Amino acid sequence: MAAKKEEKAMTVEQAFEEIEKKISLLEKEDVSLEDSFRFYQEGMKLLKYCNDSIDKVEKKVQKISSDGKTEDFE
Amino acid sequence: MHNVYTVSQVNAYIKNMFTQDFLLHAVTVKGEVSNLKYHTSGHIYFTLKDGAGAIACVMFAGSRRGLAFQLKEGMQVQVTGSVDVYERDGRYQLYARQIEQDGAGQLYEKFEQLKRKLSELGMFAEEYKQPIPRFIRTLGVVTAPTGAAVRDIINISTRRNPYIQIILYPAIVQGDQAAASIVRGIQVLSERAVDVIIVGRGGGSIEDLWAFNEESVAEAIFNSPIPIISAVGHETDTTIADYVADLRAPTPSAAAELAVFEYDRFQEKTEEYATVLMQMLQRQLQLKKDKAAAFGRELALLSPMSRVRDRQMRAANCEDRLNAAMQQVLQNFRHQLALDAERMKGLSPLERLSGGYAYAENEKGENIRSITQVTEGDVIRVRVSDGQIQTKVTGVTGEI
Repeated sequence: MAAKKEEKAMTVEQAFEEIEKKISLLEKEDVSLEDSFRFYQEGMKLLKYCNDSIDKVEKKVQKISSDGKTEDFE
Repeated sequence: MHNVYTVSQVNAYIKNMFTQDFLLHAVTVKGEVSNLKYHTSGHIYFTLKDGAGAIACVMFAGSRRGLAFQLKEGMQVQVTGSVDVYERDGRYQLYARQIEQDGAGQLYEKFEQLKRKLSELGMFAEEYKQPIPRFIRTLGVVTAPTGAAVRDIINISTRRNPYIQIILYPAIVQGDQAAASIVRGIQVLSERAVDVIIVGRGGGSIEDLWAFNEESVAEAIFNSPIPIISAVGHETDTTIADYVADLRAPTPSAAAELAVFEYDRFQEKTEEYATVLMQMLQRQLQLKKDKAAAFGRELALLSPMSRVRDRQMRAANCEDRLNAAMQQVLQNFRHQLALDAERMKGLSPLERLSGGYAYAENEKGENIRSITQVTEGDVIRVRVSDGQIQTKVTGVTGEI
């Protein structure tokens, strides 16, 4: 419940919002070619960040044992 | 002859009997409240009854401290007080010093009191609710290590996202040690810096779920730095934990759905974004290309070459028109010639012969146009369409 104080790294949600912004910038007709490439590259970088944020390794459920250690559950 | 007593004497006698009875002096009676009257004087009158009988009860204003809730018709209560005689009416009644709710009712009352208290402290306020992050990597679960709740949470979470890391704190969720165990679970998982914690258990009676109505659990949830989803019992069970949690899920399964995003949907979304970004860039490139082409065309129109070409085209055009005009003139001449030839053909003497006319000439070949040119005996030639006839003039007459 208590609100977190420290600044955390960008969440995937925030990254998605940023991508949306890049897309809307790219949608404008009067954007320069240089900016187009820049927005595209930034968008792709954000996408990579999103993908990298999701660790794609299947994991076992962990259980915290009575001595505070973590072990496989089941 | 036996004694005759007054009513008052009998009532006083009976009252004395009641007063001397140790049990009736301090007795706890349970039953259902009926005929309830809150009198303006502050006294409360009601009847306590069960299936077989009833007893009149009164709680005087001076004893009201012994009642911590609003009495209601039909409530199951335990009344502690003394049974005594009301001499004026000649009847006995229970003088209540303390009234408590019976069993579940008592728990319900405790629940309402704590709910009121925490609500007044602001612990349920929206402003303290942490948003549940949508794309989490690690899910903490505080629940019993056996039973349907933990299985449902694990199954649904891993089905939605096979890459989710679940850390389970095997908690005691029922009985005296439950509250402390749940509190400890929340603390331990907070230290592990999981992204979201689900706290809950499967369905049960109000007694079974009671730990989730304990103040210590409510405080642990409120103070957790990690967002907490509560998932206690069935949809209809609402506990204090549900009120104080950042998000309330109706069941453990629903909690897993709220906590864990669908990996497939995430992948679709990122792929869609990549496509849109590429399309947008290509569109920009096309726009620039089109613009460059348009400028090129404008420039070409203004260039000297364009003027030269323009003149060349005009010259070519003139030539074409000249040729065409000349052709027309020649054509006209040819036409006229044809007409003239036709007309001349009509004027040819030979042509006339074909119409049955004849042409006469003398021996010298002169055309004979008058009778004066011949005399009797002259030989003349008469030409007709297919040859000539030599003939001799046998006479001349001036008549036609």
